[in-house]
Amino acid sequence: MGSLILHDVTKRFGRITAASEISFRATPGRILGLLGPNGAGKTTTIRMIANILTPDEGAITLDGRTVGAWSQERMGYLPEERGLYKKIEVNRQLRYLAALKGVHPEDSTDRIQYWMSRLGLKEWGMRKAQDLSKGMQQKVQFIATVLAEPQLIILDEPFSGLDPVNSEVLLEIIAEMKQAGRIILFASHRMEQVERLCDDICLIAEGRLVLSGDLKEVKQRFKRDKLALDYKGMAPFLDTMEKMGEIQFLERYEGGCTLRISDNCNPRALLDQLLSVPDLELYRFELLQPSLNEIFIKTVGGEV
Amino acid sequence: MTRKSLVIMRGEFMRRATSKTFILTTLLAPVLLIGFFAIIGFAATYMIEDIPGERAELDDVPRRVAIVDETDVLGDRIMNQDVGRYVFVKSEDNSAHDDVLSGALDAYVHISDESISGVSQPVLYVRRGGRLVDQEELAGIIEKSLQDHLLSQHNMTISAEVRAILDRSVWLDTVRLSNPEEEDRSSYSYAVLGGVLGMIMYMALIIYGSLIMYGTIEERTTRVVEVIISSVSPFDLLMGKVLGVGLVGLVQMTIWIMMMFGGLILAGPIIGMLMDPGMYDLSTTVNNQDILSVANISLPHISGALVIWYILYFIAGYLFYGGLFATVGALVDSPEEAQTLLLPLITPLIIQVIFLSPIILNPDSGIALGLSLFPMTSPVPMTLRLAVGDVPIWQLLLSYGLLVFSFLGSIWISARIYRANILTYGKKASLKKIFGYFINS
Repeated sequence: MGSLILHDVTKRFGRITAASEISFRATPGRILGLLGPNGAGKTTTIRMIANILTPDEGAITLDGRTVGAWSQERMGYLPEERGLYKKIEVNRQLRYLAALKGVHPEDSTDRIQYWMSRLGLKEWGMRKAQDLSKGMQQKVQFIATVLAEPQLIILDEPFSGLDPVNSEVLLEIIAEMKQAGRIILFASHRMEQVERLCDDICLIAEGRLVLSGDLKEVKQRFKRDKLALDYKGMAPFLDTMEKMGEIQFLERYEGGCTLRISDNCNPRALLDQLLSVPDLELYRFELLQPSLNEIFIKTVGGEV
Repeated sequence: MTRKSLVIMRGEFMRRATSKTFILTTLLAPVLLIGFFAIIGFAATYMIEDIPGERAELDDVPRRVAIVDETDVLGDRIMNQDVGRYVFVKSEDNSAHDDVLSGALDAYVHISDESISGVSQPVLYVRRGGRLVDQEELAGIIEKSLQDHLLSQHNMTISAEVRAILDRSVWLDTVRLSNPEEEDRSSYSYAVLGGVLGMIMYMALIIYGSLIMYGTIEERTTRVVEVIISSVSPFDLLMGKVLGVGLVGLVQMTIWIMMMFGGLILAGPIIGMLMDPGMYDLSTTVNNQDILSVANISLPHISGALVIWYILYFIAGYLFYGGLFATVGALVDSPEEAQTLLLPLITPLIIQVIFLSPIILNPDSGIALGLSLFPMTSPVPMTLRLAVGDVPIWQLLLSYGLLVFSFLGSIWISARIYRANILTYGKKASLKKIFGYFINS
């Protein structure tokens, strides 16, 4: 199975450019996190991949072929703004949605049974969607997304509204699909989820791609400039260093602190200095990897 | 048409055709409609036409009618007439007035002096909301008394035989001539047929159009639409939806037309059963057909051509309006918001119904021709004209051609507006926006 490739994709609405020259590659068996604040252009980008919108410029290919009606059958899309027909029985609408993806009714009946019982909804198939709780409806929507066994799965904020137990079930299924070699696109503005789940990331801000690549590599690109210290005793020289602008306290607490070290401060020298204080017992000295959130703020210069 | 629009069509059809609402409306609408027209028809017959034997059915209670007679001659003659349905009393103007108001009398007739010379006419006073009094029958009784009085003034008396001869009246039977030589009786029954067919068409266009609109609004408000159009193109969705609901309509129409045929077949025997052959001086052994023909009731004949054209007009008219209703659905977030946008759609539909009776009365008039050619108003007037008379083939073809051309145009425009707006939520639809998107898309 081939990859999903976006090449310099641009979409304009009148005078507003919603997505500008976006390029990335999502490969089978990996989860790509699409990050960005609200209004960054994530949804527009996803809609172009889903062939709901057509790019003004650039190309989107799956397996080397430009996406179109054909790729819609091989793709499952769980939009951020999603819903079900309120007055139709769950099984019936799942069959309908599967049929739209080209799934034969006989196949869809078996698959619906499997997924409904796997997600604990076995008893709810004949009920109307309006009788289901919001969390249950979320699960039904997820089933609709994966029912056609799509090669490409697009999940836009899949965990919103789900309780921790169901979130875990979903995570497990996503992991299975990754194992099975599907291409998974995961859009969110919840950084900790992306950090936990994704192999690759794409940061989008104001319609532009500001950062992309393997999550670990991306992180390594950013300096470890945050230091966590746990100790017993006094270290008054730290205050002096802050005054000199060499360090900046981020947090101070009984027996420790986190601080940011500036470019003119050598962490190695700082460690030596701490060890040389006679009455000070050092328990922890850790240069922390920047979080995705911090990377984002550094890159975009604003809150997510 | 793509496979996906077929899936949508089937989904829409199955969902709607198996609903309780569908089954109920299919069964009840014709009953209500025919009842409605029967009442109107009955009232119209009673008010306009003096058909022997079709005099309004009054109840059996004799009506108490006072005669306020200034002539001093007519009153006695009226009182002497043996009319079982009336009890006549002589009275003074003031007391009769009060008695009618109090309900002691059903009516009073004021006959002035000049009534004999014909300078003025007798006046019947009844209480508003009181029991029905057959005005024409009373007029007949007074007329007879007046004639007797005038005859006696000239020293003429007439025998019972002569009176019977004078009482003979003629009812003018109507025969509709058309080419090829086919004869049909009673334009009245055709007017009812045309009215029923026209109303069904009008209701169907509005009901099915609204179904599409509400369906589109529902998909937008529940946001299920984004999932749908990640599987099918908005055009396929629009087409599948319009065709699916249209198929529901077609099935419903077919059932209604079949019910109508069945009704017409059964109507003869039923009406015949309800009528008394004695009323028409017929022997009790005559068959229903004879009773109906003597009573001047003839049931309309529905031709195959009428059915085919009716269905063709329904399909094209429905597709024309269906696409436009779907577009309105794609532009608004709630049914309430749709009201203003619906105005330009509903107006031509209502115009078709407003002109229902003028067209029935005069199917070849200029207004009938104009309305039945203009695509936005043609479905109802044209089928109406087809039901009550003959339409030149060139008018039929021109009208239908214009309608088909317009529905293709409306679907084309609708698909563009639909595609551009189906995913924009929460923004008020404006003409600028509609056409802005239209140009951009």
